Amino acid sequence: MARIELMGLSKSFGALAAVKNVNLAIEDGEFVVLVGPSGCGKTTTLRMVAGFEDPTAGEIRIDGCVVNDVEPRDRGLGMVFQTHALFPHKTVRQNIEFGLRMKGMPADARAKRVREVTEMVRIAHLLDKMPHQCSGGESQRVALARTLVTNPSTFLLDEPLSSLDAKLRRELRAECDRLHEALKRTFIYVTHDQEEAMTLADRIVVMRSGEVVQIGSPMQIYSDPVNYFVADFFGSPSMNLIGGEIVQAGAAPRFRAAGFAIGLPARFKAAPAGAATLGIRPEHVGLARDGGGDVELPVRLVEPLGRDTLLYFDAGTERPFVAVSEGLDMAGVKVGAPLRLNFDPRRLYVFGADGNRINEA
Amino acid sequence: MAMTKTQRRRIATVVRYGVLSLWALVAFFPIYWMVSTSFKPDNQWFSWPPVYFPSPPTLANYRNVWLGTEQYDVTQYAISSQKPLISMWNSTVIATTSTFLSVLFGSILAYGVSRYRILSEARMFQLLMLRMIPPIVVVAPLSLYYSALGLLDSRTGLILIYFLTTLPYAVWMTKSFIDEVPREIEQAAEILGASRWRTVFEIVLPLIRSGLVATFLFILILTWSEYLLALIITKTQVTTLPIELSKYQGTTEGRVYGRQAALAVGITVPLMIVGLIIRKHLARGFSFGMVRR
Repeated sequence: MARIELMGLSKSFGALAAVKNVNLAIEDGEFVVLVGPSGCGKTTTLRMVAGFEDPTAGEIRIDGCVVNDVEPRDRGLGMVFQTHALFPHKTVRQNIEFGLRMKGMPADARAKRVREVTEMVRIAHLLDKMPHQCSGGESQRVALARTLVTNPSTFLLDEPLSSLDAKLRRELRAECDRLHEALKRTFIYVTHDQEEAMTLADRIVVMRSGEVVQIGSPMQIYSDPVNYFVADFFGSPSMNLIGGEIVQAGAAPRFRAAGFAIGLPARFKAAPAGAATLGIRPEHVGLARDGGGDVELPVRLVEPLGRDTLLYFDAGTERPFVAVSEGLDMAGVKVGAPLRLNFDPRRLYVFGADGNRINEA
Repeated sequence: MAMTKTQRRRIATVVRYGVLSLWALVAFFPIYWMVSTSFKPDNQWFSWPPVYFPSPPTLANYRNVWLGTEQYDVTQYAISSQKPLISMWNSTVIATTSTFLSVLFGSILAYGVSRYRILSEARMFQLLMLRMIPPIVVVAPLSLYYSALGLLDSRTGLILIYFLTTLPYAVWMTKSFIDEVPREIEQAAEILGASRWRTVFEIVLPLIRSGLVATFLFILILTWSEYLLALIITKTQVTTLPIELSKYQGTTEGRVYGRQAALAVGITVPLMIVGLIIRKHLARGFSFGMVRR
């Protein structure tokens, strides 16, 4: 059982403020993912929870007790490192039982526990190997087993999959999910990969420049981003974000960009006129074949992916405007051909000049 | 006719090997001369033209030096006061103990420097600069201290001074190895419940064992062959091999080259044996980066 609370947590390295006033309560058994670009403070936050960094200000509580002055080994946590951090001079078995030996568990009980854990993560065949004889995926499983074996109340995972290739990453991601289901422990997982965050998390904590930007379920983060940064960070291909301006003329507000202009839904009627960014996810852009549609844009590139086709348009912006079309129907579209597009009006986002979402009425 | 590429390469090889062989000859000649002299009967020690190969080779020098047997050679040199075997034992105890202490304390200090920055960069250099003071400068105050502390002419005295004078090297060398150990490996041990000392002795030091071995040998060579401090601190009770060696060139004994050479061979061989035993570690220790990430 572990409920972890971060209260006004800050960390500075000299003049650099790495983490600024983070407040977060992680419920027992919850899978929380801290996500953000590199240098956003997510790893520093995790390391403060682990006890490897002392907070400059604020409190860390585990089950209500302040643990700022508690040694890492006495916090009842387990940690999996980005580099796996296996002991290179010990066999896989010695690596896994290290934590049990430190707790003074007798040899036969240790052997039993090691067997249980190695079966759980399917590495029983590796026990007598040295870490350097294990592949990346195997090392990561060993690292997981070494953490599992001590039965910690909370698992801290610091970009555990970032050193693996895409296929293994997916495989071990599923493994993490399965372990969380089976163990019903608290997991705090750090990653810069939005896809990992989306698939694993009960709750996502988006961080940038040391601050928490948004906390929410994957669906909330995806469909209700608080600002430009979150909207841009989540989703693949990412949200189309087009710079332009809001024009309040007459009854309905309009959005005007370099390449096109469209009318905004009535819920934006209170939006202030001026510079703004329009956002719409590629999957909410439809192709209008009957001559209707909101805008007409020339095709710049066609990427048939099999299950669906990505269409890149020239919207007069630096980044191409992307639309997703199901199947391969559109794979034959000629580059340069103008296509008419529908924007799903319920899925339009507008961000103000400061990057924040513009309130909808 | 112009040379082909193959011909040029062959000539380059010949020249290269020629130059290197010549240099090797110059470098190894003294060693050869030491070994050769150790097998010469005494009338060939000084003979002119020089005798390159002892004829007939004799073990008399070795017997005389190491076993103390009497000599029935043409010239007689009585060196009764000398006890090379005892000196060998003294040297072994003093050199290995001081080196062991130096590497042990040096690596723990280095751990502190590497992980806790207990010494700044500037302090680390000052530590090394201590070694730039010529030992002869400190000999007078040192012998005063030692006589006051009753450490003159004792093994403890020599062990202590060797330990202290080689400590900077040990700190510098082992620090470079400890710096190579990823912090995360230690933190993994820490969060699994290991104390700091446990982490150092069970994780860090075993990981840098090749480096420790290399450091050990480096310092062993220094302490094994140290002469000046030993000359001052030891008098009659405790002599080390370098002191013993010097006695074969003296006003009372004359120049006893053959026996000196026999003793010199005996001083050199143990170090070579140690080097051979640990050569696997040496190659790795000096190449750094031995910790796989």
